[in-house]
Amino acid sequence: MSAAATTHDHAHDHAHDHAHDHHEPGFLRKYVWSTDHKVIGVQYAVSGLLFLLFGFFLMLLMRWSIAYPNLPVPAVDAIRSIPIIKDLFESMFGRWLNPDGSLNGELYNMLGAMHGTIMVFFGIVPLGFAGFVNFVMPLQIGTIDMAFPKLNMMSFWLFFVSGVLMFWSFFVGTGPVQTGWTMYSPLASTTGIGVSNVWQHGHTWWLMAMVFNISASLLGSVNVIATVINLRAKGMSWLRMPAFSWAMFVTAFLLLLAFPPLEVAALLQLSDRVFGSSFYLPTGLMEGGKHLDISGGGSPLLYQHLFWFLAHPEVYVLILPAFAILTDVIPCNARRPLWGYKPMVYSMLTLGFLSFLVWAHHMYLTGMGTMMSTYFQITTVLISVPSVILLTCLMISLWGGSIRFNTQMLFASAFLPMFGIGGLTGLPLAFAFIDLALHDTYYVIGHFHYVVAPGTIFALFAGVYHWYPKITGRFMSDKLGKLHFWPSLIGMNLLFAPMFIQGMAGFHRRWYDGGKYFENTASMSHWTTSLTHKIGAFFGLEIPDNMLSLNIVMSFGAFILALGQIPFIINFWFSIKGGKKIESDNPWNATTLEWATPTPPPHGNFLFDVNAHRGPYEYSVPGHPADFYPQWESEPGKPVPPAKSEAHAHH
Amino acid sequence: MEIPYTVHARPDTGLYNAKIGIWLFLASEVMLFGGLFSAYIFLRVGADYPWPVWDLDVKLGLINTAVLIGSSVTVVMAWASLKLRRFGQYKLYMAITVLCAGVFMFNKSLEYSAKFKHYAVKLTDGTILTGHLPEDDHHKTIPYQVKFGDITALSLTIPVKNSAVTADPASYVVPHLEGEPKFKTADGKEIVLNAASFAELRAQALAKAAADKKDSASVQLTAVSPLKAAAKPADIFGYTETTITFRDGTVATGKLIDDKMTLLVDGIDTRAVAQPEKSLAFDQRYLAAWQPTFVANRDHHIAEFEKHFPTRDKSKSATLQKESLFLKLHSSTPPAAGEAHGNKHGAEAHAPAEGGHGHGHDYPTVVLEKNDVTFFSNFTPKLNTYYAIYFTLTGLHGLHVIAGALVLGYFLVFNGRMMREDPEHLANRVEVGGLFWHFVDLVWIFLFPLLYLL
Amino acid sequence: MADNVEEIQKSIKKYLWIGLILMVFTAITVWLSTVELPTHGLNILVGMIVATFKAGLVALIFMHLNHERPIIYKVLAFTAVFAIVLFVLFYFSKQDPLVFEGFYSIPE
Ligand code: HEM
Ligand SMILES: [Cu+2]
Repeated sequence: MSAAATTHDHAHDHAHDHAHDHHEPGFLRKYVWSTDHKVIGVQYAVSGLLFLLFGFFLMLLMRWSIAYPNLPVPAVDAIRSIPIIKDLFESMFGRWLNPDGSLNGELYNMLGAMHGTIMVFFGIVPLGFAGFVNFVMPLQIGTIDMAFPKLNMMSFWLFFVSGVLMFWSFFVGTGPVQTGWTMYSPLASTTGIGVSNVWQHGHTWWLMAMVFNISASLLGSVNVIATVINLRAKGMSWLRMPAFSWAMFVTAFLLLLAFPPLEVAALLQLSDRVFGSSFYLPTGLMEGGKHLDISGGGSPLLYQHLFWFLAHPEVYVLILPAFAILTDVIPCNARRPLWGYKPMVYSMLTLGFLSFLVWAHHMYLTGMGTMMSTYFQITTVLISVPSVILLTCLMISLWGGSIRFNTQMLFASAFLPMFGIGGLTGLPLAFAFIDLALHDTYYVIGHFHYVVAPGTIFALFAGVYHWYPKITGRFMSDKLGKLHFWPSLIGMNLLFAPMFIQGMAGFHRRWYDGGKYFENTASMSHWTTSLTHKIGAFFGLEIPDNMLSLNIVMSFGAFILALGQIPFIINFWFSIKGGKKIESDNPWNATTLEWATPTPPPHGNFLFDVNAHRGPYEYSVPGHPADFYPQWESEPGKPVPPAKSEAHAHH
Repeated sequence: MEIPYTVHARPDTGLYNAKIGIWLFLASEVMLFGGLFSAYIFLRVGADYPWPVWDLDVKLGLINTAVLIGSSVTVVMAWASLKLRRFGQYKLYMAITVLCAGVFMFNKSLEYSAKFKHYAVKLTDGTILTGHLPEDDHHKTIPYQVKFGDITALSLTIPVKNSAVTADPASYVVPHLEGEPKFKTADGKEIVLNAASFAELRAQALAKAAADKKDSASVQLTAVSPLKAAAKPADIFGYTETTITFRDGTVATGKLIDDKMTLLVDGIDTRAVAQPEKSLAFDQRYLAAWQPTFVANRDHHIAEFEKHFPTRDKSKSATLQKESLFLKLHSSTPPAAGEAHGNKHGAEAHAPAEGGHGHGHDYPTVVLEKNDVTFFSNFTPKLNTYYAIYFTLTGLHGLHVIAGALVLGYFLVFNGRMMREDPEHLANRVEVGGLFWHFVDLVWIFLFPLLYLL
Repeated sequence: MADNVEEIQKSIKKYLWIGLILMVFTAITVWLSTVELPTHGLNILVGMIVATFKAGLVALIFMHLNHERPIIYKVLAFTAVFAIVLFVLFYFSKQDPLVFEGFYSIPE
């Protein structure tokens, strides 16, 4: 228990000192217009979680329509009878529903596009990257705050504005965009072209929101990189930096250099819509049998190139924070050093570099030339090498450990096979001749959801359970945690595994009726569909023995998944005041510097002059009295001296 | 608590925070303009029309280049003066820098506004006529409008389900009508059409449609006395001889009076025409008188080219194409044989397309039949992908100029105290601001040749 | 970074000279664009080479990249690579050199 002893004593008296010699900033300055990296991190994380929940809700509506096309959505009538909620519901979704309360293609498309956009740009990135990096990284590298605290605040508020704009697009005339999270032109540029008031058009709001979102990401990533480069504590050399901070550092570079071309893509699309230019509109484009009043001469391909130049690196922006979290959670709970720290760091750097060179594997079907297609196939296959190295290192780290299966470790260990499935199913897609058949089918949806949902999102949950005690001083309940984990794991797999089968059967990713009104879908059967049929029959349900039965399985999975999140939501809010109190500042007996601070960390973070004496993963060091040897201890069990002066950073 | 390394460099990296910050920011800016430049490459390589070359006012561009380079020198001099603690000089240099930004933006606004007034009309055979719209006695441009008369009835459809395009004649139709918009409803009531009266009508119609279980309600209005309407093409969806459809879907029945377009032509561009001398521009109704001039000019340039470059493929010379097939008009009547424009070449033939000198000249006026016109626009992003990328690149660059000037101006005006008390800190700021400013200059160094010259 | 007084005094002259050189090369760029080279593509190439030279001067001298820290060079090197990848691949996606004649042909 040496670590606890070394830092614990200061925690409480410090809080008092602090209140005395500085005058306390008001509530607004402290929690709203805060420049403190920890508050900003929490702000990001909570908004990210809320957006994830919202995006999840959109998905549930979609899944209803897929499983039961043209049946009224349950509970619509109930919602329509609650006074205030009623109006909100009506202007967001209700006004588009069929009179009988069922979904139609239009609404389905809106939900689909917003689900993708919100999950990627407003859910995972703010939580996984911005939230965790802001809270944890400065603590881990032993500094008092980010390099540019005001910029940090600005970045959050830009993000906030972008969220509001995106949300607002539900309420404007045309409703939100209907053209997928990829927003391909010319479809995106010409839908609702009759709407002459651009402010009534969801697309305009989507684009503006994206411009704000991108600007926020840019500011944030500048901040992260500058902090890592210039504010590492004494002794925190590059190769003593935890892999968490490394992964976030690489992620920040991806955001920094890949987002600007998306900003360009959005600006040009905005120009097409608002000024009538033809960046993405080819000559002779017609809409409804009429030539559009445009000059033409542009190309839809230009949009796709600019978009995917961002969006491929973006998928690594989604996955690297997950790896980041696991490199902390797994060694800490396996009580083993991270296996292959250096190969992992180099793999991350390679991954970051290569991710800029593979984007057009999303565009094989555009009929690109032979040389381009060969190039992109090669780079795409290459990039799976560092991904595999990362995954393998994490798995080997478990070897010989005495694993503590607390909630975060459950999520972390589930990540490994889930990400494996996602990554392996990506490989066939890397080859143009296979992608020809699988592009835009449910197979692709299955592939990337395995990577981001039971992959990244599980890792993010692990992170939430792991750092929650540092933020609040209390644990989240382990029981509720397990009640969260198991339904999530089962739900996710029921939801995503059948997608591969449907995808290989040719199911298109954007059918709002799940294929019901397409010929042939009703005549295909498979052992999974027969099984579903039989299980249904056992319960007295009539589930057909064809591919459509899988829609019901998947929606059932989604339903279980939804139920599984309820314990989490309860756990998250109630543990703030009601969770078990932590007994030391280092409840998990971890080695990295964030656990050396008082809990919750005060403004300025550390009470001693930070010095990193060793690498970040000194668990079960032979000959060492405890099974962990933190970075901040100069000798085993030696308490850290308090700060020499309050202003150790002054000049 | 203070963040370390805000003023002095961290020993092992040798950098203070803001320096890292600005370089990272510039790296992302490189990718931003990189994205735009690659869009430029993509559009240019894929262009299906002759890419404009020497189409802008090169003189203005040249002046602006000089101004930016000058300001780049002064901003670095300002930093050096501050380092040497010569405060007077620092202020002077900084002031000149901000002034240069002002001059740059002033020139830009001249350039932009000339383009907004200048039009290009594409005819059915691919000929492009450039020129200006006629002006009234007060030098105000008369916009091109489609004119309707004898409007007797309006018919509107209002979808029951919420939809983005819904009938709203008060804002989409009434502004284009001449005279008081008095109408009779189907049940004989007389109303003045405005937002309030329409809301009432709408409510009635929707109630009726709901009762009849219909998807949409239709409303018929009869004009009390025949009305006239005039609308820019952008304000309407379309028209026929007897009907005109406004942007809200309202259809008015009447009679087409006039949809001809009057243009004071200052250029005939036949580069996209298979047989240039037979271009529609030289039709009897239009500029037939200019055909001999055109032919003389073309033959002259081709002969010159053949003399200088006997082995080259004529169709591959962008300059020759432009000189020989894009005739610029400088007077209202064609020159007599022998004193053709064709004798001029070099810079003269390169003269900018927007005809900046505009009003001093007379131009031939043509009245174009609507049937002959496929597309028209002023010189804005709508005109073609070249102007689209031109406005985007220069517009974004202009925003950077403004942002840079604001930051540098802020240092000059509000950081006086810091200058006296902590000049090293201010020098850092000026260095960082200066780096941004140099980057803006650096972008322009590429923009100028790509957009103005090549 | 030129941090001591003498060095800065020396570099002031340098800045003025560079300004002058930039002006001269701007004039050269304009002149070069009026020269009829065998193809217009060549004109563009030459113009871009001159522009790159000018931009290099601005970056090296005005922006002090001639003596900057290694980490800045690293960041900029990666950025430059990605920007060039962007240019080159965008170009080739319109002008793919490997098109099999007869297999499919692009309509004019
Ligand atoms: C391990 C190596 C991987 C390979 C070889 C790979 C390959 C591919 C390919 C070729 C596609 C395009 C399929 C198509 O549209 O036809 C694709 C789609 C996708 N991948 Fe991966 N992938 C890999 C890993 C990942 C990871 C780690 C993530 C995210 C965290 C990811 C997220 C996505 C997404 C979001 C899409 C679909 C985008 C869309 O069309 O909406 N992939 N993948
Ligand atoms: Cu990809």
